[in-house]
Amino acid sequence: MAAAGLERIPDQMGYLVISEDGVLASAGDLENDEHTAAVMMTMVRTASRFRLPGTADPPFKRMSVVVEDFVFTVTVSGQKVFVVKRQNNQQEPISV
Amino acid sequence: MGCCYSSENETTEQDPERKPLIPPNPVSKPPNGTDWITTTVPSARTDEQALLTSILTKTAQNIIDVSAADSVMMEQHEYMDKARQYSTKLAVLSNSLPQKKALALPSLTSQPHQVLASDLVPYSDIQQVSKIAAYAYSAISQIKVDAKEELVVQFAIP
Repeated sequence: MAAAGLERIPDQMGYLVISEDGVLASAGDLENDEHTAAVMMTMVRTASRFRLPGTADPPFKRMSVVVEDFVFTVTVSGQKVFVVKRQNNQQEPISV
Repeated sequence: MGCCYSSENETTEQDPERKPLIPPNPVSKPPNGTDWITTTVPSARTDEQALLTSILTKTAQNIIDVSAADSVMMEQHEYMDKARQYSTKLAVLSNSLPQKKALALPSLTSQPHQVLASDLVPYSDIQQVSKIAAYAYSAISQIKVDAKEELVVQFAIP
């Protein structure tokens, strides 16, 4: 199964496995969450277009979207986008 | 249209010179339910109606309906042909664009589970990045042009 192992990630609240054609697997808070899938897909596409001078690959392995008390961790492997919603135990508020 | 006698009456009583050469538009013909010419109507009335019909037909023939002409000139298959022609052209042009390659998803890692399960970004790091971004935003917003001389200069044309 495409999502094997994602449910064992510590503090996970849900996950998504997305391909170019749509959601392949989902669970927890992100079960059948097409909207979040579309947003994450757009964000990771945008982020992966960024290159440091003189490099061919995107300079990151994971994208973290921090939303107060939880975090979306996103990565791409084998033309599939993996999104895991994790609890954010760091209590301090983020002020910009 | 109408019963068989009505059409017989029409042809026998109508003056051959008044008969239109081109058969009238089927749309302009009255529908069955409201047929003007029936066997019970007197022949004088029928003649009057036939005359009115011929005037109507003649007028209809003299009118050029622009909206109808458009649909006649552009058939469904012509639209399809044009659509196909344009999409082929677009496909050729978009292939030559460099962004096409960037649309494919890059592989960020070969071990997604390990990457996603590793520790979250520390709060202090996020705070530092937020601070730097705020400074950068503030710096950019304060960039302004210090105009010391005229941007548009008049050349001395003799």
